[in-house]
Amino acid sequence: MSWKETAAPVLTRMPTVARPEGHVPFRRKLTWTAGVLVLYFFLTNVLIFGLAGTGSDAFGQFRTILAGGQGSILQLGIGPIVTASIVLQLLGGANLLGLDTSDPRDQALYQGLQKLLVVVMIFLTGIPLVFLGNFLPASGQIASSLGVSTFAMQCLIFTQIAIGGLLILFMDEVISKWGVGSGVGLFIVAGVSQRLVGGFIGWSGLTNQTGFFEAWFNIITGGVETPPLFSADGIQFLLGSGGGQLLALVTTLLIFGIVVYAESVRVEIPLSHAKVRGARGRFPVKLIYASVLPMILVRALQANIQFLGRILRSQLGEGMPDWLGVYQQTQQGFVPTGGLFYYFAPIYTPQDWVNALGTNTLDILIRIGVDLTFMVIGGAIFAVFWVETSGMGPDATAKQIQNSGMQIPGFRKSPKVMEKVLARYIPQVTVIGGALVGLLAVAANMLGTIGTVSGTGLLLTVSITYKLYEEIAEEQLMEMHPMMRQVFGSAD
Amino acid sequence: MSGSNSGGLMSSAGLVRYFDSEDRNAPRIDPKTVVAFGAMFGLLVMVLTAVAV
Repeated sequence: MSWKETAAPVLTRMPTVARPEGHVPFRRKLTWTAGVLVLYFFLTNVLIFGLAGTGSDAFGQFRTILAGGQGSILQLGIGPIVTASIVLQLLGGANLLGLDTSDPRDQALYQGLQKLLVVVMIFLTGIPLVFLGNFLPASGQIASSLGVSTFAMQCLIFTQIAIGGLLILFMDEVISKWGVGSGVGLFIVAGVSQRLVGGFIGWSGLTNQTGFFEAWFNIITGGVETPPLFSADGIQFLLGSGGGQLLALVTTLLIFGIVVYAESVRVEIPLSHAKVRGARGRFPVKLIYASVLPMILVRALQANIQFLGRILRSQLGEGMPDWLGVYQQTQQGFVPTGGLFYYFAPIYTPQDWVNALGTNTLDILIRIGVDLTFMVIGGAIFAVFWVETSGMGPDATAKQIQNSGMQIPGFRKSPKVMEKVLARYIPQVTVIGGALVGLLAVAANMLGTIGTVSGTGLLLTVSITYKLYEEIAEEQLMEMHPMMRQVFGSAD
Repeated sequence: MSGSNSGGLMSSAGLVRYFDSEDRNAPRIDPKTVVAFGAMFGLLVMVLTAVAV
């Protein structure tokens, strides 16, 4: 008996959000999306009950792309969903699952497995967060006033973040089925945009953060001491993150431009209708064919490695071997300064490498090298897996084109032949696109971004927003011409 | 038409994938329940915090 039959009774009974019956008008979709978004922002502001202080953020610098909020009931953010997705991509990409996602029965299993994995990951991330490592310290004061033990308090804290994790999962499902885009994408965009706006208009008096505009206001009005502007120091001051942040501004704008441009770079495969003469089309193989989403998987992998390091540090204390990791206590909790976990830590900001380059040249170069290897090779591998598991590979696409009644002019009308033609482009474009996105993310982090949203965060945001824009345009077209629904293959 | 036709062929999946076909055994949750539960839960935690302090 295969694992499918054994697991089917559990996997097919995972609760799901009901699907809308019939077509949901665009206005209603927008209402659902906005409603869930408001709920999301509300929940990121609800602090966990029974916490002593806010603890230290286990996700550290990865918080931007993992959404949620430190110390809030959405502490876990989309972390469990992303980690579950990594496992699923690896299993699916290596073809270990044996699930055919075009078969309805297997689709139900896949969906159930996906949900079960997220629940498992909520436990695997939540338990160490609460019970090990002091990331979310329980308040002894509240525990004693309630007359319960600290352990009971920890269980209560865990329950809250676990419910928060489940809520994120179901909110994603509500948006995917009833709203526009996907919840995960929206939460990332929401978090990054919030930081980006903060990075521009943040006022140190109010938000503890010197935004871009305040920095320039101070420079122009002489509110800060500036070195002579036409000296080396002056130029560095204007470019750097402590001064004029010009480099961060240029990087941010450049990433915006590059992603929007890359979205339009494509190989177009001509199609013609097999029966209707003159009906032509094109199948675009975009440069970032696999989209930027696989990148979040690579970053999450790095985040999990750092998380593991910090848990080990909290358990082993000073007894942690130096080759494994040397940690320093800072405001953000323990930060690796040497050993294996230091080399595995990606470069987050220019401060991570610029100043240390002169003194610890070799260390910094190794770290940059490891980060680049991770992002470029990892990006390419996950992009390939992504294309395979999300039905964008040559075989699945050939079938899709065939089913729509189209064919590639000049080739026989057989899915096998079409697959061969597509296989000339799709794998190559996917690998190049994945590696390119990885390279961009590392470069953006090294140069710095406004509001330190991180290169990956920015790439994800621009790309998700672009997709959202395309989807909204599609929706509006369908509203105007109900016939178009058939063309887009939407269920109604 | 050529441009719009290609849009339908590309499947732009989110991180979590939902298929049209679902098992009929699975319990169904109304989306309103999800939102209402989320809001209630958030309020409950806020009230608890306010009472305990």
